[in-house]
Amino acid sequence: MEDFYLAYQSLIAFVGINALLALSVYATLSCGQLSLANAGFMAIGAYTGALITLHAPQVPFGLVLFISAILPSIIAVPLGLPVLRLRGVFLAIATIGFGEVVRLAFVNWDFTNGALGLVAIPQRTQPWILWLMVAVVIFVLARLRGSRTGYALEAIREDETAARTMGIETTRYKMAMLALGAAIAGLAGALEAHFTFIVSPAGYGFGRVVDMLVQAVVGGTAMLFGPVLGAAFLTLLPEILREIGARIGLAPGPFRLFLNGVILLVVILYLPEGIISLPQRLRRRKKAA
Amino acid sequence: MGQQILNGIFVGSIYALFAVGYTLVFGVLDILNLAHQAVFMLSAFVALALVENAHLSIWLALPLAIIAGGLMGIVLERLAFRPLRGRAGSNISGLISSLAMATVFEAIALQLFGPDTSRFPQGTFPDRMIQFGSASASLLQVCIAGISVAMMAVLTFLLAKTRLGRSIRAVAESPRAARILGIDVDKVIMLSFFLSSALAGAAGVLFGLAFNSISQDVGRSVELKGLAVIILGGMGSVPGAVIAGFAIGLVEVFTVAYIGSSYRDAVSFAVLFVVLVARPSGLLGQVAVREA
Amino acid sequence: MKRALSLLFVASFANSASAADQGAVIGVAISLTGPAASYGAQQKAGIQAALADLGPGKLDVRIEDDASTKEQGITVFQKFINRDKVAAIMGPTLSNTASAADPLAQMAQVPVLAVSNTAAKGITDIGNFIWRDSLTEKQVIPGAFKKAQEKLQFKTAGVLYGNDDVFTKAGYDVMAKALEDLKVKVTGTQTFAKPDRDYNAQLTALTSAKPDVLVVSALADNAAAIVAQARQLGWKGPILGGNGFNSPAFIKNAGAAAEGVMVGTSWNSLSKDAANQKFLAAMQKVGVNPDQFSAQAYTGVLILAEAVKQSGGKTTRADIEAGLAKIKDFETPLGKFSFTADRDAQHEPSVQQVKDGKFQIVQ
Repeated sequence: MEDFYLAYQSLIAFVGINALLALSVYATLSCGQLSLANAGFMAIGAYTGALITLHAPQVPFGLVLFISAILPSIIAVPLGLPVLRLRGVFLAIATIGFGEVVRLAFVNWDFTNGALGLVAIPQRTQPWILWLMVAVVIFVLARLRGSRTGYALEAIREDETAARTMGIETTRYKMAMLALGAAIAGLAGALEAHFTFIVSPAGYGFGRVVDMLVQAVVGGTAMLFGPVLGAAFLTLLPEILREIGARIGLAPGPFRLFLNGVILLVVILYLPEGIISLPQRLRRRKKAA
Repeated sequence: MGQQILNGIFVGSIYALFAVGYTLVFGVLDILNLAHQAVFMLSAFVALALVENAHLSIWLALPLAIIAGGLMGIVLERLAFRPLRGRAGSNISGLISSLAMATVFEAIALQLFGPDTSRFPQGTFPDRMIQFGSASASLLQVCIAGISVAMMAVLTFLLAKTRLGRSIRAVAESPRAARILGIDVDKVIMLSFFLSSALAGAAGVLFGLAFNSISQDVGRSVELKGLAVIILGGMGSVPGAVIAGFAIGLVEVFTVAYIGSSYRDAVSFAVLFVVLVARPSGLLGQVAVREA
Repeated sequence: MKRALSLLFVASFANSASAADQGAVIGVAISLTGPAASYGAQQKAGIQAALADLGPGKLDVRIEDDASTKEQGITVFQKFINRDKVAAIMGPTLSNTASAADPLAQMAQVPVLAVSNTAAKGITDIGNFIWRDSLTEKQVIPGAFKKAQEKLQFKTAGVLYGNDDVFTKAGYDVMAKALEDLKVKVTGTQTFAKPDRDYNAQLTALTSAKPDVLVVSALADNAAAIVAQARQLGWKGPILGGNGFNSPAFIKNAGAAAEGVMVGTSWNSLSKDAANQKFLAAMQKVGVNPDQFSAQAYTGVLILAEAVKQSGGKTTRADIEAGLAKIKDFETPLGKFSFTADRDAQHEPSVQQVKDGKFQIVQ
């Protein structure tokens, strides 16, 4: 049993990190904004944390994490001001652009070794730190939901124009959630950097933010556990497919990719509120039967 | 300098062709079709297979691959977009389902053609250079630019003057009103996808011919560039996409020549950004981009 | 060749039957999907060919896909270490994945043999359990460029390199220094990204400065297109490349444009040594055109088997670790192979030039 845990402890850790990332996307989705900038914020947090640890190793880890979370959220403000006025897909595209610019900046920056990245980062992330952070983030988001802020966010998500006419300062709320999402993403980035020993620009491209979005949506955004569930499901899926493949004699290769795509399609078409809505749907189905 | 202008026109024509299909679907359905680049890629492979295995001439393989691309578009529409119509938040769902389809297409390409990069066999296209003063272009490059422009002209004519084009524009304006007017909205959407993906297919084959490189990740970088193009041109505007495609192609080339190639992609995204912030409707777009 | 490859793929859908249950358990983590999939496919072919040549019962090899990502690399390594309890690990394909996963093996004291990592830092310097049989660019390029300059007598160079990939960026760093040491003036430096296919702008900018040679640090796919486009733009001068060019895919995709290109390579494909000839024959039997990746992977298997032999046939982790340390002047397709004091590869690199559509040794 212990061997089993040892064999999969990093997988479990990745579930935690991806859960944080999915929650960071949820933060902006909760007020109806499709922001795809979080891979960029994650990169900023990861590099910040790694640089501090490598150049000033005496700084306590907690402080490193704090700075890695704050810096992206500060950067989110000048990004948000011009960009949050855009609707739907345009906001998404603008934030994709931001993410790409961040990645390109790191590829071209000699101080961080460009494509080679920063290696030999000491492994300061322990499972308990990671899950503590997940719990803290869920707690914060849960409190937000139940509060007046939460109602304002929901109003903005439902109908932004109506919310504004009701006197809700939509821009301020949207900005706050963008910054919060950035902080969570930065935190996840730093945690990951101190877990995988290396940061390199390759891990923070368009594909990364799409993964986050998919995990949040597939999990379901109606409840806070949705993104966590989505992260768990999609992080574990390749490994599950790997095991199944080994049992039925399927060699690794394109078929896993194919299955990944098909499963994603099926979930998005038939479980639009995400996996978290599955028990509800089954209950409804039983009632109707 | 003249050579660089030619380089820019040349790559710009392919960007434009790619973006035109992209923007067409966005105009009609308000959805970003992330599988557009996968159709681009897979059509190139189809043409390659036709030329290499079936020994067809490129002049036959190209139209066949274009039709194949169009058919892929129909499959996309049926499987990934139609079931989502009418659903709230269909923008995000559409994004994700098109992404899922892109993954499936990539897996198919990987399975059928392997992970290695391929190219069209020597002699697929006659090897000849044409001089334009001090600059030179290959016959292939000139043909590609020509075909791109021709296809875009045909599309523009189709949209402006034919009944189908008017129906497409009507549906883009308001599907409900179009239905009331008696337009078969489902069919129009299906045909839009066919057209859009056929154009993607054409762009893919021409791209593969132009740069001697076909692999299952060719779509990825063009996809992001394509975003910059449709934003600059104005979402939903086909002439805008054309102009913007050439513009971005030239901007890229001149960035490489005078600033440094490391900044090339960054400049495209900077353009994207500036346009969204300063003039979100782009050069010729009319779609509402901002909240009230 | 395409048909052979597709047959290979169909056949590969059946589980890769590993050798009998005896023999040291070796975990192989390579990129079978993702951006590095084409290298992983070559590596897999090389490994399976080596296993066939070795015969049954020597090594029990488990091949897993790391999907070209560090996350799956780490997951696969941990599975190998804790579940499959492997005696040694081979791979992963990419240097970035290695920097993330190798530390786990080091901590668990499981020997790792890298067969394609060429980053100067972040691999063998992780610890004493990390070994590699792939020469870094630093061991190949300076000698190759020196020889090239003797032949071509160039004084200026235009440089083009891929700046978003560890392989090509590390290669560029070495090339820049080698050019500096040879007192060659760099008239211009341009970059590209791995997914790029259009290099016309960069090449036009470089050639307009009229350098004596074009120096390119790129992987095979990009290299072929770069060379083809350079020739098309009218560049008639020499082109110098690094390790990434050392692949039949390069010649195939570049066609006539590959003529005359000079490369510094770590694998001498033309070597008449028995070990290399055996390797070439084995690859021909499965219809795969071998390149550096398959040569280094094949060699990796031979090295691990030899390590077992050197430790008297014992197959625990410590034994393999000790066995690796004893390897000296071991006959492999890469030549007479030894490890340096830092567990890096050591064997004769070679300089080759494309003549008549084939690589030839430059004397």
